[in-house]
Amino acid sequence: MIVKLKHCMLLTLAVACSVTQAQSPAGAGFSPGDYTGVWRMVGGTIFDRSTAEPANAAAGQPGARERPPYNAEWEKKYLARIELVKQDKLPDPISNCGTPIGFPRIFNAPDGYEFVVTPKQTWLLTENGPNALRIYTDGRKHLPDDFIWPTYTGDSVGSWQGDTLTFTTIGLRGEDGTIVDRTGIILSDAAHATTQIRKADAGTIEVKLSIEDPKAFTRPWLVTKRFTRIPGGDEIRIMDYACAENNRNPVAADGKTLTLDSKGQVIDAGR
Amino acid sequence: MKTTNLKSLAAGILACSALLLLGASPVQAHHSGAMFDRSKAVDLDGVVKAFQWTNPHSWLQVEVADGKGGTKEWSIECGSPNTLARSGWRKGTFKSGDKIKVRIGPMIDGTAAGIFVGAQLPSGETLGEMK
Repeated sequence: MIVKLKHCMLLTLAVACSVTQAQSPAGAGFSPGDYTGVWRMVGGTIFDRSTAEPANAAAGQPGARERPPYNAEWEKKYLARIELVKQDKLPDPISNCGTPIGFPRIFNAPDGYEFVVTPKQTWLLTENGPNALRIYTDGRKHLPDDFIWPTYTGDSVGSWQGDTLTFTTIGLRGEDGTIVDRTGIILSDAAHATTQIRKADAGTIEVKLSIEDPKAFTRPWLVTKRFTRIPGGDEIRIMDYACAENNRNPVAADGKTLTLDSKGQVIDAGR
Repeated sequence: MKTTNLKSLAAGILACSALLLLGASPVQAHHSGAMFDRSKAVDLDGVVKAFQWTNPHSWLQVEVADGKGGTKEWSIECGSPNTLARSGWRKGTFKSGDKIKVRIGPMIDGTAAGIFVGAQLPSGETLGEMK
């Protein structure tokens, strides 16, 4: 089967975007469907919309929460972070500009997405950040224990079975770096995930995550994210997004997000 | 300056963003949005001083009468160019010298700043939530 991926960036890199390939080396088949175009997440940046309280909550809204299957110890940590949201002091690495959004939060970003699918690798590229998730499907294994170290995005390998990409992710930073959304959800350094990506229909990419965290959860956390194409056809493009370009909301040492005027002076009352 | 109580400004912002920003709401910012009061809206009549078409946010600077015979510059946070452009905005949407009415979710601490909700342009055209 000839799969031509018309919309592709980074042509100079090693993986060609127009490929002729019958089967993935690591899977029983490679029939991904059409991932071309620019996509956006459905449902806002609440990671698990199905358990959002209130149902129409926005991430960062004081008091908003979800129901990850935390044990008592980690539920207490979550409640403490919800209180920090109310004080506008939730530590969020991406507010500092330049820190990767990480896994699994990379499935929870605003703005545009590209899914660059090839038999041996799939790249998830987010406009916001920007960020990248690389999923190897060439048969390689996870990095060995004497090599891997905790990172924001972790290490992802998997395979294609027909139209479904299944991959596992390990090597996450944990409490200080694996932040899921701005309600305050965090994962431990024991967290790992199995994720499935498929085209649910011509205009929908469906991502099903099963996140296990032996330290923080009482059972796997099952979350489904969906993405739809941004209308506009071939005219739509990913634009540059650099948080540091004109960041008028720096974070103070005490965690408070400040606001600057057009001359760069702090204008928050009492600051 | 006119303050309007809304049943749910948050819902208004989300509705606005669904129309304006293709789902990328101003509250989906790169930073916390807890500094904004989402329970009320403030309407400002003023003159555009500048429109910064930049990441991670565009900023609308508006000179507003301060009630003491002078003016006060307000800083109004908007979306990033990628999302705004996809809903038809351009860097010339607001021009220096334009007399506009702009609706914001104000800063809780009373600072002369807020998050964009809607605006009425000199042509009478409206953007966002201005009902």
